[in-house]
Amino acid sequence: MKRLVLFVIASACVAAVAALARPSAASAGWCWPSCGGYGILNQSTSTYTGCWFSSGEVCSYYNSWFNVGLTKTCYPGCDWNYRTTGVVLYGFENHDRIRGVFTDRAETVYTRPSYLSMTGLTRAQMTWYAGTNQVNGAAIG
Amino acid sequence: MKLALALLIVVGGAVAGVLVTRGDASRDTATLSNHGGGTIAIHGLRMRAATIRTGAVLARRDGRVFYRLTTADGDPCFGVGLATDVGSPGSVVCRRGFPSSGSPVLDLSVYEGTRRDAREFSLFRVEGFAADGVAAIQFLRPNGNLALTVPVAGNVYSAATTPTGPIAGYAAVDREGKRVWRSP
Repeated sequence: MKRLVLFVIASACVAAVAALARPSAASAGWCWPSCGGYGILNQSTSTYTGCWFSSGEVCSYYNSWFNVGLTKTCYPGCDWNYRTTGVVLYGFENHDRIRGVFTDRAETVYTRPSYLSMTGLTRAQMTWYAGTNQVNGAAIG
Repeated sequence: MKLALALLIVVGGAVAGVLVTRGDASRDTATLSNHGGGTIAIHGLRMRAATIRTGAVLARRDGRVFYRLTTADGDPCFGVGLATDVGSPGSVVCRRGFPSSGSPVLDLSVYEGTRRDAREFSLFRVEGFAADGVAAIQFLRPNGNLALTVPVAGNVYSAATTPTGPIAGYAAVDREGKRVWRSP
C-alpha cells in the first residue's frame, strides 16, 4: 500500500513538471485568422483588440515575440511576377509606434522585433495598406 | 462560317501563345550576378513555412549582412541581418519571380508610423536587393517628389541615414537615371 502511494505521488510530480515545461498554446504563439487558414485583410478588417489602427489591422497581444511570419496568397489575383492587388505592412508595434516591412507579393516573409530595432513587449501586427489581401499570419514567442 | 471559326481559333491560339510566352519567367533575362561567397549555415530561424539551413553572404553594408538563401525545398529566399550575428538573418523574404524584369527590386526597408489617424509611414532604415542593371533606388514622397536616392552595388542597397517625412513608394533607375520600374 505504501509503495502504491509513493508511486502515485511520484507519477503526479512527473506529470506536473512535464505540464509546466511544455508551453501552452496561448503562450507559445499567435495566429491570424487561425493557425491553419487564410483570412481577408482589407480596409475594414480588425481584431478589435486595441491595435494601432482601429480598422485595417490585425494584431496580437503584448509579448516578447521572437518573430512574426506572413504568407500572402495570389487571391484575388496576381500578375506574372506574383504581384497581388494588395499591400500589407507586417511587423510589430508598441504604444509609441508601428514598424514593419511592406509586401505586395504572394510570398512568405518573416521579421524579428530586433530587425525593426524594437525591444521589450510588442504586438505582432499585419496592417492593410492597399487592396485586398488573403493572408495567414503567425507570431512565436 | 466554319472558316471564320477556324480563323478565330488560330488567331486566339496565337494571342494566347504570345501572352503565355511573355509570362514565362524562365525566359526573363533579369539576373543577380552577385552569387556571394561560400555556403554558410543559417541558424536561429524558426520558420515553419520555409525551412532554411544554408545560404551565402552577398554583401556587408552599414553593419548589416545581406543573404541569398535557399529553403530545404529549393525555393529562393533573401534575408538581411546584423553583421554582429552572421548566419542569423533578422528578416527573410521567400519570393518566386525575383529577379525578373517585372520584379527587379526586393525591398526590405523598415517603415515607421507614429500617427494613428493616417496611414503615413516614413523610412526607419533602407536596405534591399536589386537586379543587374538597376543602378539606384529612388524613394518617393506621396506627391511623387524625390525623397532619397540610394545607389545599388553588388545587387544590394543600403542607406545609413534616412529622410524624415512620409514615403509612398520607390522606383528603380538605370545608369542613365531612367526609371525602369516603380512600386505600387
